[in-house]
Amino acid sequence: MKLTKAQKVKLFVNLVRSYHYDKMMYRRLMQGKLIGFYHPAGGAIAPGVGACSFLNKDDNLNPHHRGHGITHMISKGIDVKTFLAEHTGKETGCCKGRSAWHFHYPDDKVYQQSGFIGHNFAPSVGWGWAAKRRGQNQVVMNCSGDGSYGEGRAHEALLMAQNWKLPIIFFCENNDMAIFSRSSEMHPTEHISSLAQGYGMDSVIVDGQDVFAVAEVVIDAIKKARQGGGPVFIEAKTMRYQEHDIGTPDLGGWEARPDAEHKKMREREPVNLATEQLLKDKVLTQKKIDEIHASALEEIAHVETYADSCEIARPTEEELLADIFVD
Amino acid sequence: MREITFIDAIKEAYEEEMRLDADVFMVGQDIRGGIFPHTKGLVDEFGPDRIVDTPIAESGMYGVALGAAQEGLRPIVDFMFGGFTYYAFAECTVTTGQYHFLHGSPRSLPIVMTAGVGIGQRLANDHAMSIHGTFAHHPGIKVAMPSTPYDAKGMFKAAIRDNNPVMIPWHMGIMMLKGEVPDIGEDYIVPLGVADVKLVGSDVTVLANSLQLQNTLKVAEKLALEGISVEIIDPRSFVPFDLDTVLKSLAKTNRLVVVDEDWESGSFANTVSANVMEHGFDLLDAPVLRVTLPNMPVPGGYMEEYIAPNPEKIEKAIRAVLA
Repeated sequence: MKLTKAQKVKLFVNLVRSYHYDKMMYRRLMQGKLIGFYHPAGGAIAPGVGACSFLNKDDNLNPHHRGHGITHMISKGIDVKTFLAEHTGKETGCCKGRSAWHFHYPDDKVYQQSGFIGHNFAPSVGWGWAAKRRGQNQVVMNCSGDGSYGEGRAHEALLMAQNWKLPIIFFCENNDMAIFSRSSEMHPTEHISSLAQGYGMDSVIVDGQDVFAVAEVVIDAIKKARQGGGPVFIEAKTMRYQEHDIGTPDLGGWEARPDAEHKKMREREPVNLATEQLLKDKVLTQKKIDEIHASALEEIAHVETYADSCEIARPTEEELLADIFVD
Repeated sequence: MREITFIDAIKEAYEEEMRLDADVFMVGQDIRGGIFPHTKGLVDEFGPDRIVDTPIAESGMYGVALGAAQEGLRPIVDFMFGGFTYYAFAECTVTTGQYHFLHGSPRSLPIVMTAGVGIGQRLANDHAMSIHGTFAHHPGIKVAMPSTPYDAKGMFKAAIRDNNPVMIPWHMGIMMLKGEVPDIGEDYIVPLGVADVKLVGSDVTVLANSLQLQNTLKVAEKLALEGISVEIIDPRSFVPFDLDTVLKSLAKTNRLVVVDEDWESGSFANTVSANVMEHGFDLLDAPVLRVTLPNMPVPGGYMEEYIAPNPEKIEKAIRAVLA
């Protein structure tokens, strides 16, 4: 589907917000102002923005773990003030400060986070099954990386989704890196989306650095799924600028990634690509683009101020023990 | 009161709760056809959209329940045999058990997990292993196992109504056991977390469940002829566990044998033993004794009975704790 001007602007705004949110998270971890770890999204922010900017509130979403899902969640329209509060151990955190880096926005149908790569596949089947049963045209946006398609659960989910024609988008963000291992080394085919063929599922490959191209294929896939046409597999070819998580070495296999590789990747920085195109097509002026950046930075400053002003969660062991079960 | 079998009691619980609540549904493998009688014929009343067969893919199958529960439905997952839960173990235990607590969620996951377990079929380890102790080890999941048809119906109904995840296996060795159960539609539940004194006695307390409860009842009958009075407590639930009922009994008998059809290592029997030491040491006149499966894969064929808890082993332990 061809994007309207308004859609392009929305995508660009979310892309810029994602870019600055990721930078903020990186900076705060380096400053010692973030609990736990952070898996930076640098280089791979466009797929999540394209996948999630046009979801409805009642569509299910599993965000990619890179960027701890922030690019996906802000694009879906979720207010993530409490996301940073969680990452700073505050009682106002989205998980009451209990989890450091998990997230839970049930009203926006983002239910769970887990450290188990591929955890998304099993519940995605259930979300899709429930959506089909309800018949209210909901879809499931099931985002994860190339590495997650090594899990048997991925194959079980592909099988059941196609078998039952569930409204699930299998959105594979292939950055060619599973921790340090290259996708080409861990998968027998060039494209992860080749898996879809084995299940008779429609699939499409898209340039994951081009946020507009991603959104176009996503909108088509969502339309098909909403109309009862079943699942679609989308593979967005993207990249990873930084190490797996901050502090680990930046390797490809067991060797340092060469400078030439980094240089080549940066030539396709998604914000730059989008900016060039919008200026060329006269969708936005440089002045307007500068305002979008300024507005994103202002938003993030508010989020940081909020998180920093909240109290650290300090429940007693007894209080925690009393909340293992519900009534 | 009418008498029905243990397995039919479970089936009646499913039927009644599914009639009461349209959000309750079952997912499993070949539950439409019915490998075991507790699901046989359910599809005729409730249809294949509520009696859902999946491919043989346990994590995906459990995923139907997990995702649907997050969406507000109330699934019952039938794993067929307890050992098969291991193929969905991360989801069943870690993901499910931590969901409410770790996410600070206002809701938990109202998922019922069930499976046939236990010795007696000579089917060997993967078809005979117990899972209650393993699940009880993982926080955030209630674990219970019924021993009589009355308890089976009442506890399955309670599990389905519970807003938390509940693992409630059933023992294949008592599948055809008959017992009194109120008429269909006469609503009752047996609350989870409440133990039951199955036989009142005064000399020794035996904690036993399911097939081993039936074995212990036989032993108690025999020992009564010698004037030994055995009190038998059925824990019914392992999580939450009703320690108070055990301590109350020990105040009278001062001696405890725990019969647990599970491997000794890391077992529920060990947890009870440690809890009684910490909370009831002064009540004890003898060390707590345990009758469990030895730490070896459960053999199949005739060898199963060489190693399994049985009336002889239970009797021996009771005599030892009284000596």
